[in-house]
Amino acid sequence: MKSRLLQFIDLLRTAGVPITAAETLDAARAVTVVGVEPAVFREAVAATLVKDEADRDTFEEVFDRFFAAPAATPKPGTRFQPAGGGEKGRTLDPESTSNSQSRDRPSDRESHRLERGEREKQDGADRRRRMAYLRALHDVPLKDLTPLQVEECELLLAQLAKRLRAHMHRRQRAARRGRIDLRRTIRRSISSGGVPLFPQLRRNRPGKPDLVALCDMSHSVAVATRFLLALLAPAPHYFRRVRLFGYVDAAVEIWLQDGHLVQEGALDLYARSDFGRVLTSFWEERARLLTRNTLLLILGDARNNRRPHRADMLARIESVVRKVVWLNPDERKRWDTGDSVQSAYAPHCEIVLNAATLRELFIAVKVLYR
Amino acid sequence: MPLHYLCGQQHRARSVEDHVSETDANTTADLVRRGLQQARYLTIPRVETVLVLALELEKPLLIEGPAGAGKTEIGKVLATTLATDLIRLQCYEGLDEAKALYEWNYQKQLLRIQADRAMEQSWDEVESHIFSRDYLLDRPLLRALTASKRVVLLIDEIDKADEEFEAFLLEMLSDFQISIPELGTIRASHRPVVVLTSNRARELSEALKRRCLYLYLDFPGVEVERQIVDLKVPELDERVRHSVATFINRLRKLDLRKSPSIAETLDWARALRALGIRELDAPNVRRTLNVVLKHEEDLRKVESKLGSLLSDSNAS
Repeated sequence: MKSRLLQFIDLLRTAGVPITAAETLDAARAVTVVGVEPAVFREAVAATLVKDEADRDTFEEVFDRFFAAPAATPKPGTRFQPAGGGEKGRTLDPESTSNSQSRDRPSDRESHRLERGEREKQDGADRRRRMAYLRALHDVPLKDLTPLQVEECELLLAQLAKRLRAHMHRRQRAARRGRIDLRRTIRRSISSGGVPLFPQLRRNRPGKPDLVALCDMSHSVAVATRFLLALLAPAPHYFRRVRLFGYVDAAVEIWLQDGHLVQEGALDLYARSDFGRVLTSFWEERARLLTRNTLLLILGDARNNRRPHRADMLARIESVVRKVVWLNPDERKRWDTGDSVQSAYAPHCEIVLNAATLRELFIAVKVLYR
Repeated sequence: MPLHYLCGQQHRARSVEDHVSETDANTTADLVRRGLQQARYLTIPRVETVLVLALELEKPLLIEGPAGAGKTEIGKVLATTLATDLIRLQCYEGLDEAKALYEWNYQKQLLRIQADRAMEQSWDEVESHIFSRDYLLDRPLLRALTASKRVVLLIDEIDKADEEFEAFLLEMLSDFQISIPELGTIRASHRPVVVLTSNRARELSEALKRRCLYLYLDFPGVEVERQIVDLKVPELDERVRHSVATFINRLRKLDLRKSPSIAETLDWARALRALGIRELDAPNVRRTLNVVLKHEEDLRKVESKLGSLLSDSNAS
């Protein structure tokens, strides 16, 4: 039995379910506790090995194939004998999951009830598949998303924005702990006869910087910009002032109103992006926005259509502001290929972050809020 | 009975008769079964198996699932089953060691120092006094470890706590011990039964999952929910009881902001009973739907589909 279990675990791992050695031991112990009565056996092994409901389908699939039903009908109470011939090494295709459930029914009398059970099982499987799908959506490169998937991501974004808010809230709370405020402690101690019974802590107010974001609005990175703006929705609570700008070959101010993008003035979305020009005009016209309390966020693929990149302008801006953070929605290996001039700008940014997938974008914004 | 037949039945709850008629040599299994029955907690066999394992292997049990599927209830049921105390730690953002584990009773320590000053005791003596158990404020985790019998520790909504807190739980969950710098390591005299619940507001760390048994508790199927309503609100008209379960099950398949929980199903059943309703038709549902749905847009959505939702439920 032990070796059968190990083989099974091996097969699960090949199918992509992460299982550690400790969990293998747990499974073995679990089996010795509950025995091998089929339904119980299945649940015991699942509870010790499958730690994410999204992996449950894979488990069921592998389990059914590995411990295939014996041909003969054993009486209830007979000990479960796993049939030989585990299908090791066979690739599991996810399509067959649903097929494996339609098997011959044991008896007509019970078939109705069983069908209902199967239907419920199917619902659960649908939900699980959806969960796994949404989880995987976090890692799909933004440029490969279909319009439908973009819609689905919008839902995820609301959740992520909520998480960001919680994250920030936590940071502000954490700042409330700190060193003893001697003056307030002594004042408070007067009411307890001079004994400092209630120590007062110094309140650390986390600084609230200004946020200025420059977002590329051109088609190549449109999705990334849209998502970034959604993630910046909670920003006004945590920054003193938030100003958003969209650019292609010139910058205009934009803001979100009820989830819609409003822009001040026209922007030629089909123009060729020219970040050098944007930087220059930004410096000339909006310099008063840039103070030593400003966090400048730039989202763009640094593809300048072979026009002058004017990194010197960014250097000048950097010397004024608190920090410059660059998010690049291109995959890292594509930076500095073709007309990308990322490395020209990089020395003048505090950090250049990857934002090719939703997950990366989220992590990047989390860094930004820090 | 062929194997696939047994497995196909996973979602069918055992009725009370099944419980009694089956003889089982496994004592823990018996205990759990009886406990579930006593607590009138009706569920699928999967839950039973996992509870037996949690008790036998002395491993923490991590329960995930949608809100209102009965996760927290399992902790309570376990406590009644073992006839022991339930210690509950409700997690929230910013929960820290001082709130979860222990805190020195600063005020009491201070008083002690003040009192000792008058008696002119040596520093060593005072120090050994003020850092002793008397000056320690027990918080839930420490209380669970130092209890004089095996207790059930319910760590509720662990996903709401910070990631750092999760890391800090690891020592306690794997070794059942806690280190207090001034006192040394405190080891559990009786290993508590630990139940963690999560709504998946965020992914939990792999390290935590690895240390736990895992149970995904979904809403029960129509059949089980019907039995739950039968069990808890038997005074309601039988026909209505059945339509309630079917209707709620339909609701959960809609894309609602908040799916109705089991508790809400029961609330609704009780409301219908209190109003003396004998038939679940559109006007009656419309009158009472706010017991089940708590969002304006959900209410509007369901009301527009009420006709199809109900006509179907009568047909089946």
